[in-house]
Amino acid sequence: MQELVLLMEAGGVDARDEELGRLVKQAKAGDMAAFEAILVRYQRQVLLTALRLLNRNLEDAKDAAQQVFLRLHRSLHQLDENRHFASWLYRITVNVCRDMLRARRPALSLEEAGEVAAAAGEDTIQQNEQRRMIYAALATLPERERTAVVLRDLEGLTTSEVARIMGRSEVTVRSQISNARVKIRKFVTRRQRRPQ
Amino acid sequence: MNCAKFEPLIALYVESDLPTSEASVVETHLEGCAECREFAAEMRDSQAALKALRMDFVEEVVFQEVRAEVLNRVSMPRKQAAWPRYAIAAMLLMGLWVAWLRLTRPAASLDVEPRAAVIAPPPVTPTSAPQHRVRSPRVTKHRAFKSEPLLVKIVTDDPQVVIYWLVDQNGG
Repeated sequence: MQELVLLMEAGGVDARDEELGRLVKQAKAGDMAAFEAILVRYQRQVLLTALRLLNRNLEDAKDAAQQVFLRLHRSLHQLDENRHFASWLYRITVNVCRDMLRARRPALSLEEAGEVAAAAGEDTIQQNEQRRMIYAALATLPERERTAVVLRDLEGLTTSEVARIMGRSEVTVRSQISNARVKIRKFVTRRQRRPQ
Repeated sequence: MNCAKFEPLIALYVESDLPTSEASVVETHLEGCAECREFAAEMRDSQAALKALRMDFVEEVVFQEVRAEVLNRVSMPRKQAAWPRYAIAAMLLMGLWVAWLRLTRPAASLDVEPRAAVIAPPPVTPTSAPQHRVRSPRVTKHRAFKSEPLLVKIVTDDPQVVIYWLVDQNGG
């Protein structure tokens, strides 16, 4: 939990954090409406991050999001209501998804990823072929590279924020992000050049 | 530095993730290397495709399901947590009942009658620096019957130390 304090201290305090602080204070006092308001505020961040880390498996992502919010509820008494905690939620989300993935199977092979790309979602192929391809590419990445690139390129966090969330140095994370981008480019290029 | 070594740098360069000094090195290389310029263009395309996933959305009903499940599970432990309190209360009541039974049970009769023990007081020997200076004995005479002994109360400087001395009518 020391990590939590460090992460919280790293965040700045703005008007949004002040409102969050009020909600956290009320939630600590047992106000379920305030806790639900916190869920509403962070549900998109948690669920979509989980969805991207868990190879677009919606049921797994829902399960992960529930675990994250249950952990949040258990940790409410330790939260400093005057501090930003989005980073903490990201970290918990990453940890929960990592545990779920490790309990199941490693990253998909290129061949398996192709199947995921073909099967994922109900969207029309023409419109979403590229999205599926990218999800398939993400599925081939080692867990840490996928986490780094999801947080940096999809969640839009800075490299230093990603490093803090992942508990790694900025140099390491930058290398992971770079590797992931190169692999995604390679995957996309191969798929685009493959004869239909 | 050959082109293969530039690829990781280009992957960072296209998203402005390189420090200025390294970015300028990459730019200089790109100016003179068509292969790396193509690599950078492909990298920008794949990054654009990757970032398009930012537009992903999840239907509100999914969020509602997650919230409902979380709120349900958060409220459940409170219901479950009630039983230990009831168990503790029951144990306390049982303990009180057992204590009450013991207190109300008739006391066992004593076979041996109690005897009063009379302990002679220690002899008072004056020293040069006595710890408790003994004043001259003050005799308190209680309503004494002929057959009853006298009670002598000796008060010392220390109010915590009071010596009682039982003496018979003859002063023994």
